[in-house]
Amino acid sequence: MSDLPAGPEGASPADGPDLDPADPTPPSDPMINTGNERLEDGINRCPKCGSTEIQLRVSTGLLICLFCRHEWAETEIESLVSEEGDLRDLTGTTVASGASDIDADAGMLTMKCGGCGAEVVVNTAEATSSRCHWCRHVLTVNEQMPNGSVPDAVLPFSVTKDQAVEHVRAFVQKRKLFANRRFLADFTPENVVGAYLPYMVVDGNVSADVEGRGEVQTRRYSRGSGDDEETVYDADIYRVDRHVDFTVDDLTLESSTERADMRAFVNTNNVINTILPFDTKSAVQWNANYLVGYTSERRDQDISAMLPALEHQLLSIARSQVHGSLKQYDRGVRWEAEGLSVHGTRWVSMYLPVWLYSYYEEKRGQPMVHYIAVNGRTGETMGSVAVSHGRIAVAAVTAGTFLEAIAIFIVAFS
Amino acid sequence: MTALVLAGAYAIVQAASESGDAPWFVLLLGPAGAGGVYWGLFQYYRNTDKSHDFENETIIESQPVTGHDQKVDRVTGTTRTQIKGDNSSDHRSRVKRLK
Repeated sequence: MSDLPAGPEGASPADGPDLDPADPTPPSDPMINTGNERLEDGINRCPKCGSTEIQLRVSTGLLICLFCRHEWAETEIESLVSEEGDLRDLTGTTVASGASDIDADAGMLTMKCGGCGAEVVVNTAEATSSRCHWCRHVLTVNEQMPNGSVPDAVLPFSVTKDQAVEHVRAFVQKRKLFANRRFLADFTPENVVGAYLPYMVVDGNVSADVEGRGEVQTRRYSRGSGDDEETVYDADIYRVDRHVDFTVDDLTLESSTERADMRAFVNTNNVINTILPFDTKSAVQWNANYLVGYTSERRDQDISAMLPALEHQLLSIARSQVHGSLKQYDRGVRWEAEGLSVHGTRWVSMYLPVWLYSYYEEKRGQPMVHYIAVNGRTGETMGSVAVSHGRIAVAAVTAGTFLEAIAIFIVAFS
Repeated sequence: MTALVLAGAYAIVQAASESGDAPWFVLLLGPAGAGGVYWGLFQYYRNTDKSHDFENETIIESQPVTGHDQKVDRVTGTTRTQIKGDNSSDHRSRVKRLK
């Protein structure tokens, strides 16, 4: 039941599309072309004056020509990838062209400068734009490279650097007393960096089943007497089965192996995960100029590698959805088995905007990078502040001593 | 966090006053409180327990939940206040997969 993609529940091979007996190969999964055909690799000019000095104007979310001040936006990706109709009709695996499998070796791109004709080599694993070293024109990569560096869509920053600095400062301001002294001495919120991080945004049409045992209390009474008296319970035990059909819209998964590693005592990627969700419906078709002035991280995971994370989240959602149907089990429910049928998924790769402040700490030879992350759209902030274990220990011992004094007082005078 | 520690302390004091004699476990108040304060402060700074609440922050359209409930047994005279291994609220703990 866990294989992806699965056919609709109860579907049999006879329910599938008719195959040509002469060519029994089933049709391949549909692919949505999201490439920005208006743009070509090389010079990406302002549609009004032809200048290549273009960047994102954060306050409006629009691209602006730095020469003539003309502003414009690319098409919203939602209109390109969402078909007419309900997500409940979604079947099979639909992949947008920017989310297709990665060829890690396909990183070097040679572009011909449209200004002077020089050939400029860009390592797309590191950057999606470059400047012609002869004529200074800005050259941008708009072709969807098979190395994961060009996604289907980008969600532009709408939180400015100044706002991000204030968010980071306010976050740390509340956490100064027990912070690592070195962290505070080095704290420079102006060093916050705007980064586009790679995510896969998934729509899904899913059914899930869960099975377990639940208990309903039938009696509560006391047994024994004096010091041996205790409260005991009688309860009925039920076998509990639940089934739920649901759709998810824009479930967002980390598509970088490094960011998907959420071991909270080894790294602090979980704080970047916490600032989700983003308003992914506002993401626009790729244009490398949205990245000018920001860093970006390339996707390095294929869809097949992300299926376990997707299944985990879908099963968690299913368990959350059935929780409201367990009210009669006042002694709780123990789920023992769960299954998932994924009828259809749609995958779109996106760059999402994050302001990151980082602090490198090394303790007993173990390096740890503490991030404070600000959602580049909503301003939601979460972070990890390096602590002073000594100060926390002093606070804990003080509180413990106070409580123990109360305890001794109670024992002595009862 | 402080409120949590005080609530725990209050619960212990209440239990002690209800029983007349203060039970021995009241003396655990100090070490337990110290541990609670340490862990609470550490979490407030490091946030190791935080993650995206995708169960509630994703657009989900769910059909009505269906199911089946069948009484299979009963338990009598147990001192447990809950079913053993209650995981109904821990949506992210995975259990055996149905084939």
